[in-house]
Amino acid sequence: MNALTFPSPRLSETGERLRAEVREFLDGFEWPVDRDAATAFGGYDPQFSEALGARGWIGMGFPMEYGGGGYGLVERYVVLEELLAARAPITAHSVADRQSGFLLLRYGSERQRQEILPLIAAGKAYFCIGMSEPDSGSDLASVRTRANRVDGGWLVNGTKIWTTNAHRSHYMILFCRTAPAGETRHEGLSQFLVDMNTPGIVCRPITDIAGGKHFNEVHFQDVFLPDDAIIGTEGDGWNQVTSELAFERSGPERFLSHLRALEEFVRILKQYPSAEGTRVIGRMVSHLVTLRRMSRSVASMIADGKDPALHAALVKDLGTCFEQEIPDVLRLALQTEPDPGAADAYQAMLAHVILNSPSATIRGGTKEVLRSIVARGLGLR
Amino acid sequence: MDDETREMLHQALAEIFADEPSDLWGSLQTTGVDKALVPETKGGIGVNWAIACELLEIAGNNAAAVPLAETMIGHWLIDLAGAQETDQPTIAFASADAPVHLSRSGDVWRVEGTLRRVPWGSTSTHVVFMSDSPSPQLVVVDRLAPGVSVTSGRNLAGDPRDDIRLEGVIPAEVVPAPFEPRSLLVIAAIARSALMAGALERTLTLSVEYANMRVQFGRPIGKFQAIQQNVSVLATQAAAARAATEAGSEAIDEWLVSDDESLFHSVAALSAKIRTGEAAGAGAAIAHQVFGAIGFTEELNLQLFTKQLWSWRDEFGNEAFWADELGRQILGEELETTLWRTLAPLGAGITVGESK
Repeated sequence: MNALTFPSPRLSETGERLRAEVREFLDGFEWPVDRDAATAFGGYDPQFSEALGARGWIGMGFPMEYGGGGYGLVERYVVLEELLAARAPITAHSVADRQSGFLLLRYGSERQRQEILPLIAAGKAYFCIGMSEPDSGSDLASVRTRANRVDGGWLVNGTKIWTTNAHRSHYMILFCRTAPAGETRHEGLSQFLVDMNTPGIVCRPITDIAGGKHFNEVHFQDVFLPDDAIIGTEGDGWNQVTSELAFERSGPERFLSHLRALEEFVRILKQYPSAEGTRVIGRMVSHLVTLRRMSRSVASMIADGKDPALHAALVKDLGTCFEQEIPDVLRLALQTEPDPGAADAYQAMLAHVILNSPSATIRGGTKEVLRSIVARGLGLR
Repeated sequence: MDDETREMLHQALAEIFADEPSDLWGSLQTTGVDKALVPETKGGIGVNWAIACELLEIAGNNAAAVPLAETMIGHWLIDLAGAQETDQPTIAFASADAPVHLSRSGDVWRVEGTLRRVPWGSTSTHVVFMSDSPSPQLVVVDRLAPGVSVTSGRNLAGDPRDDIRLEGVIPAEVVPAPFEPRSLLVIAAIARSALMAGALERTLTLSVEYANMRVQFGRPIGKFQAIQQNVSVLATQAAAARAATEAGSEAIDEWLVSDDESLFHSVAALSAKIRTGEAAGAGAAIAHQVFGAIGFTEELNLQLFTKQLWSWRDEFGNEAFWADELGRQILGEELETTLWRTLAPLGAGITVGESK
């Protein structure tokens, strides 16, 4: 299996049945917010999350004994892409569903799994990820947040940043130092399950350039974590965290978050056709369907127990560059001025996409870091 | 076809290319790969399109200056239509600016017009093309038949792309088209995509080798982040090209057993050459940048691959042609049908009908 081999994605009859069910559910759901508003992007809606949980569409890959659906990752993928394509408000539970749950399933203690996984699957436990710090972005191994051994547990001090939804999550997966770096900087790092109600944790929201209030600075001051808060093995945090990344990097969220803009573009062109618009849509669709195939292929590889970290990096790079191109090709093909508050859906959508596009190639690994990973995988350096 | 046979085919082809025989095309023909798509019962190998495109990727990976793609398609078409087997058929397309007229008087068919840029037209024994009127027909013309004249042309890689003029030519055979005639162009485009995917992969391999070997400023240039970033982009383009090609070849196989009349209705099939053609341009540019001046010389192999890429991307419709076609398909859907539901229809790939 070389870096360029993306096996045909597996088709699943169960998955295709689920696709129909999800569409029916979405078509019938009473949306609490205006679905056409640009602000409906990345919606956070616990009520919706719980409704999805009740349908069994969160934690689908968890075993039944932990409240999951016992589905494969291929079926989970179908449900997720349908939710994303419909701009369903899934951000409350999406981190837990995408990666934290799988992390606990793989490395968590039996107590953690029994206590947390059923709550995730029910759409009632939301997670954030404490990785980046003010002085540690792409260079994750340089984190300085420290957990020191004390009687019966650990005392955590430090600051995390860019932590999406920290202010409204129940738990954080905290990545920090538990011992000084050894021969390699990757030693002495660990992961903890942190209850966000623990005294000493303070969240300060940060407003992004699109006006979104999703991410935070999170301060830890003498935060006590019990012994059993550790996830997996003390000191093995680096290996554990990198295993999460294939989930984080290759999913459909990496190329479907601006689908709404393309949808709106197509809707307008169907009514007011243009030669340039026709060509643009043909080209963008060819990119989109190719990305979808590659992303589904990675999901199939993970389901088969392979480690497609390199493939995931490659898909994220391609996917996010595609997303970033959307505003540019659209604005030139259908000329209008972007206005975030416009009543016109296309104008509002365009504004939203332009303002949000810089984040695509930064969050979850900058494209430069991803390209270094790919280059190393190719045998350079 | 089982995985073992498939592996053997891959192996056989790879060995021939490794041997660099003086008569490459002759060596390839002895393996029967030119008839790979013809059923075993008719003397072929009986591969499907997915495997056929893998074989074409291997050919592209070796910048093979042979008419493999067009002969494969030619033999397959002739067999599918139930026409008489020929020695070495190539395929051709009438274009809007150069229509080809097929007419019949009594039992005698005659064909008139010019087939432009026919790949390996001058070296093939027969030219096979589809005609829409008076009814969908597959036409087989003997290159040596009276009234056939050939004007030579070349692509950037030096392969023959010849204009074939037909003046009152009596075709060797005219049989009812085995499928909707225009679909043949989509198939030809996907075959070109497969060649490009293979060639792109080689430009990547060559670039990685060269970057690790070439020393400047006291270290291999592959240690510089600027080079690493570019080569990584080349890799993503090569991977996308391959994925788009595989989606396209699988789409041909699915279409052949579906109820759908035209392959033009398949998003994956129309996407293949758009995505692959774009990757070819972007990838070739990066490879040449990695190689610097030496890559701009005839001495180096890199040019064999990039010249083919720059040729193939414009043959059988370039990115713009296919983007227009795909765009029209997408925009032809009903207003209420969202883009997503066009791209991800319910039950895709699950139901299977009768073979065409």
